[in-house]
Order: sequence, then structure tokens, then C-alpha cells
Amino acid sequence: MQVQVKLFAFFREGRFIRKDKELPTGTTAGQVVDDLDIDREEVGVLMINSRHCTFETVLQEGDIYAIFPVIGGG
Amino acid sequence: MDKQNKKRILQRINLCSPDNYLVLDDGQRIAADCNCSLLDIEQIALEHSIVPARFKRNSLSFHEQLRLFRSRVAIIGCGGLGGRTAELLARLGVGHLILTDPDNFSESNLNRQIFCTLQTLGVNKVEVLAHEIEKINPALTCTQNINLFNKNSITGSDIVIDGLDSKEARIELSQLCQKRNIPMIHGAVKEWYGQAGIDQAPNKLISTLYPKTTGSKAPPKVLAMNVALIASLQTAEAIKILLGHNSTLQNNWLQTDLLHCEYNTIPLP
Repeated sequence: MQVQVKLFAFFREGRFIRKDKELPTGTTAGQVVDDLDIDREEVGVLMINSRHCTFETVLQEGDIYAIFPVIGGG
Repeated sequence: MDKQNKKRILQRINLCSPDNYLVLDDGQRIAADCNCSLLDIEQIALEHSIVPARFKRNSLSFHEQLRLFRSRVAIIGCGGLGGRTAELLARLGVGHLILTDPDNFSESNLNRQIFCTLQTLGVNKVEVLAHEIEKINPALTCTQNINLFNKNSITGSDIVIDGLDSKEARIELSQLCQKRNIPMIHGAVKEWYGQAGIDQAPNKLISTLYPKTTGSKAPPKVLAMNVALIASLQTAEAIKILLGHNSTLQNNWLQTDLLHCEYNTIPLP
């Protein structure tokens, strides 16, 4: 299945801003994070089609999946 | 101040404000002659639709300028975001700032924190800030708390500005604000990237952006223009709430990326 993955802030560095990915059926949001070599502790918000989701949410064909890091400085 | 005295002051103000703006020199002279503070004089002026001339180019109505004059904003953390926000709020004419921070300026703050200079290294941030913003707005009341924040740091405030730099502190401040029903204007920065939003009981902004699973990391690298951008956004949201304007950030947060020139408004759950 095809899913568009969108990365935000410093997750973009050395990766991409948005990319269409071919993923096996049943892939979870967390598996995509792991495959991108993103530390789960650095993840703030996950959204599929503008709705908040968790690492366990299973992606579907045509989803737009956004990954936001925690930004903590002041 | 008795009624007679107030009437006398108002007559003096009216005499030197034919265009409904009171210049600083006149305000200070009237204050000295009448044995009261500039704050007293400007309060009487604003209550009678005369605006201190230094706010002329704000282009706000005297009602709006008076509302800002009567507002109290608590700034928690007076480093990058908090310091810059304090400067902007002082220029806009907010009447009372409550500043809280236990830290002193250090060399690593020079790259981004306003009023951190070679002369202020080693001096407490709240003390420096209070001194500097008084030079911008001499009628400003400033409460200084040189300590970690607690419930007293936000007591009586209309708005709280989040100038903190740790997840745990933000969660604690959010809980304190929600308990007292005070909107907390959140801002955070890292490198070229930032975010801003309004944390209020119904929208759960802070618990959304800082889930339990995340760890606390070393102080992030931050670029000065990013701090200025996010502090400006926080100031704009604070002023909008004080003046009764609606904001899209009541239900969303703003994600900024100066490197790729992207500004995204993201819906809260």
C-alpha cells in the first residue's frame, strides 16, 4: 500500500520533508518511525489524515502520515 | 488620590494634550509638580481618552491601550522567549509584568537572549530585565521573583507566558494555570524550528505536545531569529486575548520552520 509520510522540524534533516512510501499491509505508525531511525522518545505528535494517532495505529492505503518531534527549548 | 487632586491633574493633562496624546516630558513634569508617579498621571490620562504619546504608533484605540495598561502578564522563565516577550509587552504598553526566573545570565546565553551582554553576565535575568524594560516603559509595574516558579508566580495574572525550557516544568506550569483558569501562551524553540499555541483546560495543548513517553534531553541548540519569531508569536497571542480578539490558536498550534520557510497550523485533538 502507498502512504505519504510527512516529517516536521529537525526530523527533516538528513531525511525528507514528504515522501510517498510503499509499505506492507498492517504497518503501524511506530514501525515507520523505527524504520526512519527516529528515536521514539523524540516524537511529540503523530497524525494520520490530520487526526492524532499512536505508535500502535495501523496505516491504511492512501493515508497521509505526519510525524512531529518534541521541541523543548525556551 | 482625592477627587479634587485628580481633577487638578486632569486639567493639567488636558492643557498639554490638545491632540489627545500626552508626551513623556509633560507627564513627568505633572507627576513631579503633583507629587505623584508617572503611572498615576498616565492612568488618569488613559481613563479620559488621552494616550501616552509613546504608544501613538501602536494605533490602538484608547480603550485598547487602557485595557493593556490594566493587564497583568506573568512571564515564567526570563531567558530567550521570556526576555524577548517582556520587551515586546513593555513596548506595547502592558501595565504590569510579573517576572520569574532564578538564573543568572551566562556566556552561552549571548547568542540569543535579549539584554544578555558582556555587562550583564553573571547578573540575575529578572533583575536585568526589570531594569531594562523600565527604560522602555517608565510607567510599567514590574514584580520580580528571583526563584523557581510556584503558584504565587502567576497569582492575579490575566495571561501566563511560557518561557520555560523543560518538559516537566511546562507540564507543572500548565497544571497550575489550568487550575486557576489562566490561559498559558506556549512557545518552544530548537535550531531553526519552533512552535506556539495557547494552553487552556479544554484543549490540552501541553499534554498533547509533550507526551509521557518523551525523554528530557540536554539544552537544545537555538538560533536567535527563531527565538525572536516565537516570542513575537507568543506576544501577539497574549495581546489578542487581552484585547478580546479570536485566534485560530485556540484550537490549533503553530509549527514553524525558518529553514524551509514553512508555517503550519496543526489541529489539536
